[in-house]
Amino acid sequence: MILKHLLIKEFKQFRVNPFFPKLIFAFPVMIMLIAPLIATMDVKRVNLTIINHDNSTTAEKLIKTIEASEYFVLQSIETSYQKGMEAIDYGTTDLLLQIPEGMERNLNAGNPVELYIATNSVNSTKGSMGSGYLGNIISSFANDLTLSASTIAPPINISVQYLYNPHLNYRLFMVPAMMIVVLILLCGFLPALNIVTEKERGTIEQINVTPVSRLQFIASKLIFYCILGILVFTITFLLGKSIYNIAPYGNIHIIYFAAILFMLFIAGFGLLISNFSSSLQQAIFTMFFFVMIFMLLSGLFTPITSMVPWAQSFTYILPPRYFVNIMRCVCLKGSGLADLWFDFTMLTIIMLITTTIAISTYKKQN
Amino acid sequence: MNVIEVRNLVKKFGDFTAVNNISFDVRKGEIFGFLGANGAGKTTAMRMLCGLSTPTAGEGRVAGYDIWTEAELIKRNIGYMSQRFSLYNDLSVIDNIKFFAGIYGVDKTTMQRRSNELLTRLNLEKERNLMVESLPQGWKQKLAFSIAIFHNPQIVFLDEPTGGVDPETRRQFWEMIYEAANQGITIFVTTHYMDEAEYCNRVSMMVDGRIEALDSPAMLKSRYNASSMSDVFDIIARGETNL
Repeated sequence: MILKHLLIKEFKQFRVNPFFPKLIFAFPVMIMLIAPLIATMDVKRVNLTIINHDNSTTAEKLIKTIEASEYFVLQSIETSYQKGMEAIDYGTTDLLLQIPEGMERNLNAGNPVELYIATNSVNSTKGSMGSGYLGNIISSFANDLTLSASTIAPPINISVQYLYNPHLNYRLFMVPAMMIVVLILLCGFLPALNIVTEKERGTIEQINVTPVSRLQFIASKLIFYCILGILVFTITFLLGKSIYNIAPYGNIHIIYFAAILFMLFIAGFGLLISNFSSSLQQAIFTMFFFVMIFMLLSGLFTPITSMVPWAQSFTYILPPRYFVNIMRCVCLKGSGLADLWFDFTMLTIIMLITTTIAISTYKKQN
Repeated sequence: MNVIEVRNLVKKFGDFTAVNNISFDVRKGEIFGFLGANGAGKTTAMRMLCGLSTPTAGEGRVAGYDIWTEAELIKRNIGYMSQRFSLYNDLSVIDNIKFFAGIYGVDKTTMQRRSNELLTRLNLEKERNLMVESLPQGWKQKLAFSIAIFHNPQIVFLDEPTGGVDPETRRQFWEMIYEAANQGITIFVTTHYMDEAEYCNRVSMMVDGRIEALDSPAMLKSRYNASSMSDVFDIIARGETNL
């Protein structure tokens, strides 16, 4: 009964707030529309300079093949290595390919030929991916040459099958991550601001002198932000479906179940910070610090298995780690509750601990 | 019958003693004035009685409940209006009434009847759906007081309720206090306006955390041979500084 009145109060306050109601629509739309386009690890449009010392038909064919690839933008064809290096130094090109003199002649004679690739690895991903793509194109070009020229058996071919994301679409990986970012920001920051705002306005005093219990007070806020979170999560889901055509492969109820556990955790964590903060600034900065940790260490952007061992162990106490894993597994692989029991158990335990601390550190009397 | 009994109550913040060993009783139905200069310890003492602050030492019972162990039971039986304006500015007048009535467990029909009476008495019918934020200060204070006694508490604590309010509104405010007292609600009011002390049944004078005097205004004036409570306060406060 008291809980009902507390909830009505939260909804009414939220509704008349000049900013927050707009935020819960604008925020998911902005993040879902823009972020997956920007936060992409797909390497495309790598600038390439070719140094051609062999003015032959074969060299011409190779250049045509490379140009046809969507990964490269052919900046220029130079005649000296010196010129190519200058282009790298000036940053106008990322990758150099040197075609040696007499390539066609040597190929026809059956002699081995060495091509030389130099890459600007300031951005290591771009450097290694770019040279990798280029290497692939050249070796398949070489294969075609060998096949057409002789009857010798082709060299060993490796075929790779990409599971769960056959087109290696980076968005399939990023969109669930963005949905989690939206939840962390909205369901984490808004509660962190909530109690401290009541402290600053002095209304908390009035609540503390009423029979409203700590449990009722914190529960009303948790439930409120959970309802808000479900609304926001649904918006991001619909956006993911309509814009990127990304629909979860697995059971959507499992996703919502995990999302609610996660919302309760992050809202409880926000309230916990709010309990300990005496001003809005303090709450915001503290929350920001933890959100950074959550984002960097949860496997949202970089794989946990690549982290140093101590950081990997640390991620076990971070609930976003479990939620990120559940989201990706259910969305991409269609995993079920039985496969994810460990993540669900850990998420639930840490959520319960956090909300219990949020309730017990809220002091009606000091 | 006493609704508040305090014995040797102490509150320290580190080395600073805000409330220094005070003892007093408040009788049922009286208007008890808790007077003192700014920083004398009035608010700290009141917060301990309301269950907002834990005492450092001493005993106290409010509405029959112990302030150490039964603070939450005290809270069911009191109303409180804090120094800082304590309604929700971003809720409408009627929503504030509904909310506070709701959390004190006032049932819906009673709530509707009494909120209409309240709005009529305060002349706020037209403003019922306005945000409290947009009301003038004096109206807010009167509304906050009405909401503090809406659930018919045994005692209402008022912490400098007339701060920043014009003299006419202050007079109306005291009329409301008398009305509530006539309904049997005990009034515990802190103030530093000495003229308001004249309206109280009994007053205590607090100086530097101690109660220096406690009696009816008439008795205090005759004892200190003063013509007004303001003079009484001057004599008590000066006596203190001369020591």
